[in-house]
Amino acid sequence: MSQIALDRVPPAPALDDGAAVRLREVTVRFTTERGVTTALERVSLSIPRGGFLTLLGPSGCGKSTLLRVVSDLIPATSGEVEVLGTSAAAARAARDIGFVFQDASLLAWRNALENVELPLEVGGGGKRRGARDPRELLALVGLSGWEKAYPHELSGGMRQRVAIARALVNDPKLLLMDEPFGALDEITRDRLNEELLRVWENTGATILFVTHSIYEAAFLGQQVLLMAARPGRVREIVPVPLPNPRRIAMRDTPQFVELAAHLRRVLETC
Amino acid sequence: MSAPALSSSNTSEVFASDDSARAQFAAAARLSAWRRRLLPLGAAILLLLLWEVSVVFFHIRPFIAPAPTAVAATLYDKFGLLIANLAPTAVEAIAGFLIGNSAAILLATVFVHQRTAEEAFFPIAVMVHTIPVMAYAPILVLLLGNGMEAKVAIAALICFFPTLVNMTRGLRAVSPQQMELMRILSASSSEIFFKLRLKSSLPYLFSALKIAAATSVIGAIVGEWIGATTGIGALIIQATYNFDSALLYATIVVGSLFSATFFGVISWLERYFLKWNVSQTG
Repeated sequence: MSQIALDRVPPAPALDDGAAVRLREVTVRFTTERGVTTALERVSLSIPRGGFLTLLGPSGCGKSTLLRVVSDLIPATSGEVEVLGTSAAAARAARDIGFVFQDASLLAWRNALENVELPLEVGGGGKRRGARDPRELLALVGLSGWEKAYPHELSGGMRQRVAIARALVNDPKLLLMDEPFGALDEITRDRLNEELLRVWENTGATILFVTHSIYEAAFLGQQVLLMAARPGRVREIVPVPLPNPRRIAMRDTPQFVELAAHLRRVLETC
Repeated sequence: MSAPALSSSNTSEVFASDDSARAQFAAAARLSAWRRRLLPLGAAILLLLLWEVSVVFFHIRPFIAPAPTAVAATLYDKFGLLIANLAPTAVEAIAGFLIGNSAAILLATVFVHQRTAEEAFFPIAVMVHTIPVMAYAPILVLLLGNGMEAKVAIAALICFFPTLVNMTRGLRAVSPQQMELMRILSASSSEIFFKLRLKSSLPYLFSALKIAAATSVIGAIVGEWIGATTGIGALIIQATYNFDSALLYATIVVGSLFSATFFGVISWLERYFLKWNVSQTG
């Protein structure tokens, strides 16, 4: 908890040209009634194309803000944001970014298939080349036969699968996920974790995944980015030494247990 | 209750093949469904009977209060007259309903896109709403004359406010994440309106429309009280002045039946259009 440890300069990210996302010294400040809040303080990071980075940190560390800067929902107050070799706004406009929210955010009046088709109907999304077949995507997330089901007829896990299929319909190169499995029970979450890794291998997309769960962060990520709160900043980037493809059983290996213990120790100082 | 079944070692069998229990459950469900329908019907018949007996027993004179049988006889004898008077009231109520609700929906749409307009006009809408319908009805009759226009205007005005409030709230009942989704998809403001806001507002709109279905009929009748030669309202006034209580009651029955049918049609439309709404289907 010492000041020196907190002020430690984050490790310099590996700057290779094929980075899917590159942030340099990104700072985000909000003006609220209680004054100016710094959500992100000089955050620098780089995710290679096809990578899977999990963001782990206490609440208030700016994890969600970071996703929203990358997806052009919130402007950076200062610093440079580069997404797929261009600006966040251009990447968003080109439909190269898919976003999955914490609650599935499905439209209640559309059935599963119609929800997946939404991106093709708005913002000129249907005219874009490379759109994927919504039925195939539902099958990919294990929901064939549920095309006609309305959100209220689906379980929480199934709704989140629909949301993932919807995020994939424009075949995005970057998938941003904001605690998508946070509200699910542990059994469903484990199953969806494995399925997400399968989707990741199937699509070759880069994934940036925010979570509160140490196990989820370690199991999914090729790297885990630990963040500290108030102000939100990068604490440490930890590579995950597990082989691919991942299996849930790997969480019982000494390697995994040691990694989780390390992440927990660092989080305690955040 | 079914102790032998529970003591069975194979638990899957307990649920899978207990036909007698399932039949028992279905019978209980049928019985409770019939109870829900028959109890109110029985109570209504009992009250009507009590009314009939009281009129005969206390020698209540027909112009004070008619017996239910007398009302029924009038409904049958003067069916043509009643329907001829229902027609203008129905036209006024339905026209007022359509105009008032359309205006409210349009203004709510403006409010949602222009905060300034809401800040300027919403207090005025509240003020107009606080004026009792009996107070502004004569004003509208003076302005629009003795024809249908005044009645339609009164019915429209009475529908307007509840729909304006509900629709404004409904159009705003969009989650921040759904808005973020639309922004990520570069959706235009008309796409956000038609594909997101309008659909999310429908449950709010229909609860306002159900209120408006009943109040629009009230508006038309009140308008006819002020000055009209035909209509349910005019017939109520005439029957009262002629001490024709059986006709008065029969007129009220016809007016109520129309109101209930109007309400029923809107409820049916709500069930049809809002199949996806869990809180409504549940």
